[in-house]
Amino acid sequence: MREGTKVDYVIEMNHITKQFGDFKANDDITLQVKKGEIHALLGENGAGKSTLMSVLFGLYQPEGGQIKLNGKEVKINNPNDANDLGIGMVHQHFKLVHNFTVLESIVLGRETIRHGFLKMDEARKKIMELSERYKFKIDPDAYISDITVGMQQRVEILKMLYCDNDILIFDEPTAVLTPQEIEELMKVMKQLVEEGKSIIFITHKLNEIKAVANRCTVLRKGRYIGTIDVAETSKEAMSEMMVGRKVSFIVEKGRQKLGDVALEVKDLVMKSKTSGKNAVNHVSFQARKGEILCIAGIDGNGQSELVYGITGMAPLDGGQVFMNGKEITQESIRQKCKDGMAHIPEDRHKDGLVLDFTLQENLVLQTYYEKRFQSHGFIRFDKIHTYAEELIKQFDIRSSQGAVSQARGMSGGNQQKAIIARELDRNPEVVVAVQPVRGLDVGAIEYIHKQLVRQRDEGKAVLLVSLELDEVMNVSDRILVMYEGEIVADVVPGEVTVEELGLYMAGAKRSVGNEA
Amino acid sequence: MKRKKLFQGEGIVNFSSSLMAIIAGLLFGLIILLISNPSQAWNGFMMIIQGGFTDGISGIGNVLYTATPIIMTGLSVGFAFKTGLFNIGASGQFTMGAFAAVLVGVKMTFLPAGLHWVVALIAAMAAGAVWGFVPGLLKACLNVNEVISSIMMNYIGMYGVNMAIQEFCYDQVKNQSLPVAAGANLPRAGLDKLFPGTNLNTGILIAVIFAVIVYIVLNKTTFGYELKACGQNPSASKYAGINAKRNVILSMVIAGALAGLGGALLYLANSGRYLQVLDVIAAEGFNGIAVALLGLSNPIGILFAGLFIGHITVGGYNMQLFDFVPEVIDMIIAAIIYCGALSLLFKEMIHKFQQKRTKKSAANGKGDK
Amino acid sequence: MNTFYFVIQQTMFFAIPLLIVAIGGMYAERSGVINIALEGIMVMGAFTGIFFINIFQSSLSGQMLLLLAILVSGVTGGVFSLLHAFAAINMKADQTISGTALNMFAPAFAIFVARMIQGVQQIQFTDTFHISKVPVLGDIPIIGDLFFQNCYVTTYVGILIFIIATIVINNTRFGLRLRACGEHPGAADSVGVNVTKIRYAGTVISGILAGIGGLVFVIPTSTNFNGSVAGYGFLALAVLIFGQWRSGKIFFAAFFFGIMKTLASAYSAIPLLKDLPIPKDVYKMIPYIATLIILAFLSKNSQAPKAEGIPYDKGSR
Repeated sequence: MREGTKVDYVIEMNHITKQFGDFKANDDITLQVKKGEIHALLGENGAGKSTLMSVLFGLYQPEGGQIKLNGKEVKINNPNDANDLGIGMVHQHFKLVHNFTVLESIVLGRETIRHGFLKMDEARKKIMELSERYKFKIDPDAYISDITVGMQQRVEILKMLYCDNDILIFDEPTAVLTPQEIEELMKVMKQLVEEGKSIIFITHKLNEIKAVANRCTVLRKGRYIGTIDVAETSKEAMSEMMVGRKVSFIVEKGRQKLGDVALEVKDLVMKSKTSGKNAVNHVSFQARKGEILCIAGIDGNGQSELVYGITGMAPLDGGQVFMNGKEITQESIRQKCKDGMAHIPEDRHKDGLVLDFTLQENLVLQTYYEKRFQSHGFIRFDKIHTYAEELIKQFDIRSSQGAVSQARGMSGGNQQKAIIARELDRNPEVVVAVQPVRGLDVGAIEYIHKQLVRQRDEGKAVLLVSLELDEVMNVSDRILVMYEGEIVADVVPGEVTVEELGLYMAGAKRSVGNEA
Repeated sequence: MKRKKLFQGEGIVNFSSSLMAIIAGLLFGLIILLISNPSQAWNGFMMIIQGGFTDGISGIGNVLYTATPIIMTGLSVGFAFKTGLFNIGASGQFTMGAFAAVLVGVKMTFLPAGLHWVVALIAAMAAGAVWGFVPGLLKACLNVNEVISSIMMNYIGMYGVNMAIQEFCYDQVKNQSLPVAAGANLPRAGLDKLFPGTNLNTGILIAVIFAVIVYIVLNKTTFGYELKACGQNPSASKYAGINAKRNVILSMVIAGALAGLGGALLYLANSGRYLQVLDVIAAEGFNGIAVALLGLSNPIGILFAGLFIGHITVGGYNMQLFDFVPEVIDMIIAAIIYCGALSLLFKEMIHKFQQKRTKKSAANGKGDK
Repeated sequence: MNTFYFVIQQTMFFAIPLLIVAIGGMYAERSGVINIALEGIMVMGAFTGIFFINIFQSSLSGQMLLLLAILVSGVTGGVFSLLHAFAAINMKADQTISGTALNMFAPAFAIFVARMIQGVQQIQFTDTFHISKVPVLGDIPIIGDLFFQNCYVTTYVGILIFIIATIVINNTRFGLRLRACGEHPGAADSVGVNVTKIRYAGTVISGILAGIGGLVFVIPTSTNFNGSVAGYGFLALAVLIFGQWRSGKIFFAAFFFGIMKTLASAYSAIPLLKDLPIPKDVYKMIPYIATLIILAFLSKNSQAPKAEGIPYDKGSR
């Protein structure tokens, strides 16, 4: 009951507890945001940030705690309540309907009508004004599926501004942006705060917190760790609060022993499924034994398609792929597998695992037909079981019932470990890993990076597709940047700055393939 | 040891959820009877419950006879379910199989008695397989929704068979197919003596054998592993190098063959049933869906579900004694399926309950220490 | 020329019910619920509508009776579809399974009730609804012959339903929200749209329209109801897919099938076709074979609503 709290804080979330079954996603968490500040919410994946914000936004009801708005206790039962209280949110995964126009997307849920029909002209006017004020350059009649991710984010921001929200939540807004776009976003955020709005900024990137935030609340494993003044705290201290121990951001690597070319891609073309353009446009490169070659770029610039083409998940529209000098372009996925290609897929639930199978069944997904696991068409479950137990021990895969646990019930980190165990145990020649650490906590990230480096040290070629600049800079030996289906840069981490990479990623700069 | 226990637990959950659906469906039937004719409702309902047992040993024989074709269509639908496909086309496949069997039975009289029915069965499976192949191919290569395409195949099959009967084996007077040669009928193997007064024959044994075969294929072989992988996650099975397209086609072909065999088993039973020239889709196919859902797509479960549906169907006939219309059985089956759809939820509830109990006992264990 | 008029008039009888039911299906699917139960709902709607006519035709007749019957059919369909909505939306059940259950239930129910009440399963009715010529409009040359002679009021009801349904889904608040729920229910939910309510509305609208469609199908083509709508609900689903879930295209798809169906049922009245040595069953197969072929060409690039058939779960984001 200190004096002054009621004027100080625009939002107070006190002692919030939210459970899912027995799992406490939020355990007695407190978050207090002052009016006119950018308040960062820092934590690893799974620390409970998104859950806390969903509580504030009315998507979840907490089991304990209270929410105060301008000092008055409020009850937020659904997003409508949140909106009425002036709380808006840019979700990490955009909440946009792909075949709606920008205008339709913004008015959805707060439509104005006349005689029962939609009345769009006023909405259009207001949106254009807002767009001008923040220099968004938005086209209200463009379809969502036709505009860039950065533009989509602006639509999300406009959605909040359109209904005059004063408390804005940004959930990991920078994950999908180029460094330049991030800078622009930061400017917009500062402008919004100057206009008297308050921002909660969810992130796990310390640089960004340092750049814009006033204060920062740290969560770890569903618990409240503390709130700090950003200007007075070092990045190292913040990261220690976030992870709970000292973290070295440097991935330890041995000296590189470059070998022969292991994977060669020549003039590869993949047509886009949605537009007439080429998603991958005449791409050529080589990956050599003993190197981690990183494909960097913003999401959606053809990386996924490139990987699909190399691994055989989708048919090529042109070009060739060689492994150890042998052409594998037309080979089936199974044959590529036998030849020694390992693939850690982008979406582990969609491609990597059969979630309703047991762990052991998943561990033999590509090898179940081999002599050691079958005889005369009958599966030898005993052999599969022993094999699975070995891998579980070797790769430290944890699950409730060991080899016979359902994959669905395992944690993300352990699911990913299972995939990595399966792929690396086949003793591959080339490892294609797409965003292998996405959504994992620091411990799992470190482990997986170590495994990739080990492969490299053993003389394998690793092709790593990553959206995270930290990962790109720390893990790789060489970086290719993809922009709009083409490789626009071929650089070495020590010789390039993050800013330069950003220019390449945004298509503002180009160092290779500059022919007419 | 641990695995076995787990399997049993899962089995009990599945069984009890099916049981709940059945009870709910039967209660619904009772309500219908009560509304339509309160005074006789209870008698009629008891007829349904007693089913085949009303007529003693011959009643049981009738249940087995009635269950045979729907066990086959049930296996057909269930097999496709395991591969992630909804084979609503079992009716058409069943009709095609029935026609092929009858045609062989009528025309190929040169075959020796011991072989004639075997050839007829093989022909039926082939015809059913072809009818399953089309939606399978369309699904695998052109992404055509198999539900719609197999419904279309049902109609095409029905009209096609009507036309073919009139062309090849028509009894104009009765507007139906000609009777098959004696050698084409399934051997009775003494079952008619065991169950006197019924049409029972080796058909039921064939159905049981196929249920076991399907069980083994699905659960013990690499082929079954592939099929289930494709069914549960097509994308991941492609990633694993499994030929998903081939498996979709194969699965529909096998499902078609199973349903086609069901058609043969019904119309080669020498029971006085002939293929009618009517614009009506064979009900056995839709009953197969009910059987598969009730049996939770498990071949052994399907066997028992088929027997149960056969049981209450016989009960439905008996119920006519009390002036009830046998369609009430279809309503009960529909209600059971509906509750079955809800019981997936019910199953989750049981799971949660079990989890809580194990957690609690674990927590108690900790407390003791 | 007379044959041409005849074909067009007949086509209306087949195309209009397909149009109504497919538009109904569109409302369910674009709200995110697959409604395979259209067939069963049509049966239920036709059953109560015809039964209503059967009972009241002694005291009422003509268009008033028919319009009341349409109302009865619509209400029946709407109520019956609630079962599907409950399973699909509240219970998050497999929508194909619950739809199949309704499809099995409806004909059994219609036959059961008819036989319990009147002894036989066919329900007879006297066709007092046929309009040989609409006053004034029927006299317009060509157009009058095509659309205002030898017709039923159901045709105009169907067209009216189509127009209203098209406007509602494209130009109203409800339509916008419904479309959002079928594509990305999470997006709708995040701006406070009640996904459950919208999906209920979509499913019930599909039920009302399918119920009406059932009656509209039976009236011009028969004088009794026998517990069946001859697979029209399934054909309507095919029309929906053929029409790519968009009302304009559905309109053309429905009329395409209407013509196919007309050729199948009325070929003997068309001189050119009558003389061809083709058995009648081949004509009957044509609509279904045509559907298969068209689906084979259209299914690769489907514009199906992204979230159809997937129960909305708030927890998974």
